[in-house]
Amino acid sequence: MDDTAPVLQLDRVGRRAGARVLVRELSLAVTRGHTLGLLGVNGAGKTTTLRMACGVLAPSHGRVLLDGQDLYEHPHLARRRIGYLPETPPLHPELTTREYLAFCARLHGVARGAVGAAVERAIERCALGEVARRLLGALSKGFRQRVGVAQAIVHEPALIVLDEPAAGLDPVQALRLRELVRELGRAHALIVSTHVLPDVAACCDSVAILHRGVLRHCGAVAAAADAGFEAVFARAVEAALWQRLPMVAAATPLDVLRWRVHLRAGADSAALVAALVAAGAAPAELQRAAPSLETTFLAIAGSDVAEAA
Amino acid sequence: MSGIGLLARHEWRRLAAQPFAWILAAVVLALMSWQFLLALQAYLEISPRLGGLKDAPGVTDLVAVPLLHSLANVLAFVVPLLTMRMIAGERRAGTLPLLLASGLGNATLVLGKFLGALGYVLALIALIALLPLTLELGTTLDLGKLAATLLGLAAYAAALCAIGIACSAWAAQPALAAAAAIAVTGLLSVVDAGARMQGIGNAGINYLALPTHLQPFTRGIVSSVDLVYFLILATVALALAARRLDDLRASADL
Repeated sequence: MDDTAPVLQLDRVGRRAGARVLVRELSLAVTRGHTLGLLGVNGAGKTTTLRMACGVLAPSHGRVLLDGQDLYEHPHLARRRIGYLPETPPLHPELTTREYLAFCARLHGVARGAVGAAVERAIERCALGEVARRLLGALSKGFRQRVGVAQAIVHEPALIVLDEPAAGLDPVQALRLRELVRELGRAHALIVSTHVLPDVAACCDSVAILHRGVLRHCGAVAAAADAGFEAVFARAVEAALWQRLPMVAAATPLDVLRWRVHLRAGADSAALVAALVAAGAAPAELQRAAPSLETTFLAIAGSDVAEAA
Repeated sequence: MSGIGLLARHEWRRLAAQPFAWILAAVVLALMSWQFLLALQAYLEISPRLGGLKDAPGVTDLVAVPLLHSLANVLAFVVPLLTMRMIAGERRAGTLPLLLASGLGNATLVLGKFLGALGYVLALIALIALLPLTLELGTTLDLGKLAATLLGLAAYAAALCAIGIACSAWAAQPALAAAAAIAVTGLLSVVDAGARMQGIGNAGINYLALPTHLQPFTRGIVSSVDLVYFLILATVALALAARRLDDLRASADL
């Protein structure tokens, strides 16, 4: 299979619930080895989009293509090729972790003889060894979430869809889950929805921002995250100073003592600090500016307020 | 086909892991055992007088068949309690997307659930059938009549399971699903009561009633009409359940 061909393609999909439009004319594509972060406030249409992407919810119009084939004309495609973690992990509390994962493997078409190895691999990848024999109903929130991820990957699907996997986790659990998502994204096509912007920056290659069911932004995270540096000085510096520094691409004043500085490709902040010190204008503070992803997201999320005003 | 078997086995495993299913089985078994002993005692008391009668009813007619007939009435309440969580419970616990995202068709999901429930109920019927069968050790049973009654009971149980699954698919709450299934079963049990009180026993309304088709089995009569009735009832109920899953897939309200 060509790695550059999209594993999943949403082609102008839309979803209505009665007269209400949940998702409107949305087009997205995800390839193997690519992680797409889906951002949006509550009610933006993230869960509806993910459900359509994994065959749970039929779109009102448009097509969902899995490896080029219409998912809703060939629903059996989902069995082996899609792993889905809903917002609430779909666990059966009366089963042990191992029993449950074995059922999920069989449910997704893993051959009987290969189930044991598939379950062990999922347990190892999600670090579930210590709870493998425990009842799911007795697990902590963090482990339940990890079992939810394990059921989504136990059959080695081409596409993994995770709906807010880090919701309700403590910072340590969230960090571990982020590492797991990053690792999964290298070998699979992965879509993850979240409220947490740093998670997107850390795990995703590209980001799609949904608002009121409309795709308002879609682009690479790396490009969106380069917002330059913010330099704070103890005393005012002149604009001419920046022109003398070869690593600076652009500098704009934020106020008398603060500047937004963009570096040329290949330059780093250490070189900038060294050059400023050499020029006799050592900065009191130099920090990466708030990423434009956050700016973009907040601008989109806050657009209602602006429109209402 | 493998999907149906997988789901059915999974339902059995889940039932076996829940105290609810065991308690339900224990209560039914205790109730039926008590009734069996009472019927047996009554039979032993009147049996000396039966000896002088021509074509007198035997132990099969006076103990075994009434016991299984009584079990049919108990199943009208037990099966809805068993099936109420099969789909409504999955929706409530948020686990239905696991099945819907599995790529298995709605008919497969419904049939898997149905066979899971039916397997439990048939095991329960088999356990209770052992009670009258023990009488074979000391007396002679009409095994043909007993087999016919058990066959009818199995067909009746299949229809009840299908009704329970359909109600569980249509109701959002398990308790509501159980109430609906009990109501539907009750309605199908008494739908021809008025006609019977008027002395009408072979009208269209009689054909709709569950007892009309169960009673011939208890007399040892295995009729394809009665089997087809239970088959149609189960098929319609399961088709409605599958239709409901279709609606759920299209409704954004899982």
